[in-house]
Amino acid sequence: MHVLLERTLKNASSYFQNFFVHEYRSKGVIYEVDARVKFISAIIFVLLAVSTFEPIKLFFLFFSLLVIIKILGLSLKKLLQRVWLFTIFSLIVVSPFLLSDPKYPFIFSLRVLISLIAVQMLVMSTNFYDLCSALRSLRVPETFVHALWIAYRYVILLFQDIINIMLARESRRVARTGHGEIWKKGGEAVGLFFLRSIERSERLQLAMISRGEKIVAQKAKLGILEISYIAITAFIILWWISL
Amino acid sequence: MHIPDGYLDLTIATTFFVLTIAVLGYSLLRLKKEKLTALFGIVSAAIFAAQMLNWPIPGGTSAHFVGGSLAGILLGPFAGCVSMAIVVTIQTLVFNDGGITAWGANVWNMAIVNVFVGYYVYKALQKFNKSFSAFLAGWIGVTVAAIFVGIEVGLSTSFAYGLGVTVPVMGVWHAILGIVEGIITAGVVGYIATRRADLLEKKEVGKIPYALVGLMILLSPAFAYLAEEVNYSEPLENVAEILGLEEETINSGIFPDYTIPGIDPYLGTLLSGLIGVLIVLLLSFGVRYARSPRKNT
Repeated sequence: MHVLLERTLKNASSYFQNFFVHEYRSKGVIYEVDARVKFISAIIFVLLAVSTFEPIKLFFLFFSLLVIIKILGLSLKKLLQRVWLFTIFSLIVVSPFLLSDPKYPFIFSLRVLISLIAVQMLVMSTNFYDLCSALRSLRVPETFVHALWIAYRYVILLFQDIINIMLARESRRVARTGHGEIWKKGGEAVGLFFLRSIERSERLQLAMISRGEKIVAQKAKLGILEISYIAITAFIILWWISL
Repeated sequence: MHIPDGYLDLTIATTFFVLTIAVLGYSLLRLKKEKLTALFGIVSAAIFAAQMLNWPIPGGTSAHFVGGSLAGILLGPFAGCVSMAIVVTIQTLVFNDGGITAWGANVWNMAIVNVFVGYYVYKALQKFNKSFSAFLAGWIGVTVAAIFVGIEVGLSTSFAYGLGVTVPVMGVWHAILGIVEGIITAGVVGYIATRRADLLEKKEVGKIPYALVGLMILLSPAFAYLAEEVNYSEPLENVAEILGLEEETINSGIFPDYTIPGIDPYLGTLLSGLIGVLIVLLLSFGVRYARSPRKNT
């Protein structure tokens, strides 16, 4: 089972770095913009990107987003570090069409790249609580949003829990194990983990009932910063349509 | 299995967004009176944590657990569907794993198809053997979900590959990886059956879920029809046509070209598919029966 543990820990260490991106902050204006506005703008940018194959519209959108990122103080380097891999992957996926339609793979990958940038602009500049709050303001059901927030908060704790269970079992193992045994014993360990998790959820539910369930609050009015961001988005939409 | 932004055209993305909102909305409405917020949150986090385990598979590579069928078996199809939808939403909003416009399709595949199919496979077969039915639920659930990914991406006009490429690639690959999913699901269910059997017993649901699963099954012929509309044909047949090769039958088999001679081709395809599934199930139960311990008489 040590192979399972080694691979999981190696993979998880890089995976959990993604969690910290929500905590990443610098002195940029974009961090102060209301999450509701950034969320809706991100969806609009993605929709604009995926609804066309016209290079001029896509390049306009791409450069507009880069300008927003630069002006509003988001690190372009950190953002590109998070999007380049999947863009290259998409290019490879459609690369067999290079011979029949040389333009298609690049345009397709550009659409993916723009969508990834638009979502990353939101993810890197908004902490997850604000994002949940924005979803609640946009009338996403309360149960769903609260559960989303609880899940986000508990992921690291529960990951630690499952690793502890695996480590405990591995430390008691004396014989060599094949793949079948790893899957079987690992499945049992995951079973124990789910039992503990369900019991933990029962305790948490009781605590929530005793303290009150409202854990994600809705935001108030929009300010001048938000109105400016909406104006920028509207300007990009209108220009995109006119192209 | 996560579809990113840019792979689906807006028609497909919107269709699955609407379907997902309908099923997810109904599930939330049905569970409204029960205090399950913490259960959804914690189980979603647990599925998320379990998905991070990298299970080694022969050949040096590894696979990860999806957990849709397990969520359905443990929580019932409605709560399981909500929990998996939360997992997919976090993956979209935190890790950018799966696109915002493809959120509907991703939730449909991993939180609805996988959960409901896995749950009903388990429910239908659990009276024979819990662990074996959990294995089949995990395996079939993830494979059918992957086939749905193939269908959505293959039908999308934004993605240049057709159904003839996307469905076999997704289906065959996940049918292999799904074996690991099935074994882990069986391990988890087997363990819980011996410690907290009550968790596996109380999720009886009414007729509406049957209608929902029926809706999914009804959608499949619609996709098949659409496939005809986009002139779907086997890639090898296309190659043969381009090269001017002619078919020379060595053995036409019991059901030539998935049809039954003398019966309407569509009905024949349906019947031959059903018979195929039955043969696989009978063989599985036969092997299971042959391997089971018996009393000496």
